[in-house]
Amino acid sequence: MKRLDMSDRDDRGGGRPEVIALSFPARADLVALARFTAASVGARAGFDVEEIEDLRLAVDELVVSFEAVQAGGTIHLRYTHDAGTVTIECTVEPGLRSHPSEGIAGGELWGGDGELSRQLLDALVDEHGREQRQGRPCVWLRKHRANASA
Amino acid sequence: MTGLPGGDEGLARFRDLTTQQDARLRDELITSHLGLAHQLARRFAGRGEPHDDLVQVASLALVKAIDRFDPERGVQFSTFAAKCVIGELKRHFRDRGWAVRAPRRIQELYLEVGQNIDRLSQELGHPPTVAELAAAIGTTEDAVLEAIEAGRGYRSASLDAPDLNSQTMADSLGSDDARYSHVEDRSVLAGALEALPERDRVIIRLRFIDGLTQSEIADRLGVSQMHISRLLAASLAQLRASFADDRRSLEA
Repeated sequence: MKRLDMSDRDDRGGGRPEVIALSFPARADLVALARFTAASVGARAGFDVEEIEDLRLAVDELVVSFEAVQAGGTIHLRYTHDAGTVTIECTVEPGLRSHPSEGIAGGELWGGDGELSRQLLDALVDEHGREQRQGRPCVWLRKHRANASA
Repeated sequence: MTGLPGGDEGLARFRDLTTQQDARLRDELITSHLGLAHQLARRFAGRGEPHDDLVQVASLALVKAIDRFDPERGVQFSTFAAKCVIGELKRHFRDRGWAVRAPRRIQELYLEVGQNIDRLSQELGHPPTVAELAAAIGTTEDAVLEAIEAGRGYRSASLDAPDLNSQTMADSLGSDDARYSHVEDRSVLAGALEALPERDRVIIRLRFIDGLTQSEIADRLGVSQMHISRLLAASLAQLRASFADDRRSLEA
């Protein structure tokens, strides 16, 4: 795993999977970082601009749903691109200011607007899901380049 | 370019146009007044909009002014036209201004990216990649990505803002909206859409319920794909805010 590094662009799509990690405080004004990184990874995977726009909206959906319930926490994003496929996983580290009733352990996050998120992500990406990983909720998505199999 | 006819001579030509509806005379009047459009467009230069776009806005406003001018009202055409053109240029800035001020370089690049997406989409038969865009513009991929992200600060044109043919984008949405009024969709998304203005709902429905791509929606509405992208992002942000408000209300 490595930090975002734009110097190794020759490793795009055709080589081994590339993983980029990004962590930032769960604040709405920092979500642009998640979008920008998603766009960068999408570009490295050879996505066209429309696929990149969908990816940006989708990562917004992942992060903002967490951000809304987890002020004070830290959002961890893991971007992987491999042969025209981008996978983004999002987990949250609870913050000191978070309250147990905010439902970060599951429950509320998956209900309410979680259903809306599911519906939006259905249209934006090829696969997405929610699961528990090491005791923390994780939401993930996967999007394939349109001509990835060509 | 021929000289600008003024005074009684100019008014006489407009009277002829009114009575004869002569297409060639109309073309002559347009040509002879284009200098005015260029001159007014220059007055709005350096504010983050490409000069060519301003000239186009001003020129189309001039044509509209020629078609609407009434020589019997006792006003010189140049006075009337200047008012029309300046109004249209101001409207252009109002509807297309930056909500969040971005550096001039990024503003211009963003506009260039938008234009090239449309052009390359036609040429290539599919939306361009970032690499293709960067090559076409002569910049780096990082710069293109930076411009796209900065585009979130670009104010989307109001759906109610009339274009130069006096047709609003909302007009082109009308038939879709009527169709949707008969759709019984009980999905969460459909329910959430109630929080949005009617016309934004249609765009969201086209994308997330009908499954049209941004480009297909853009084609249908006669706007750019980047415009649709901005509208979608803004509408989703509004939906999220609406949900957050509802949740706070329930918790209170």
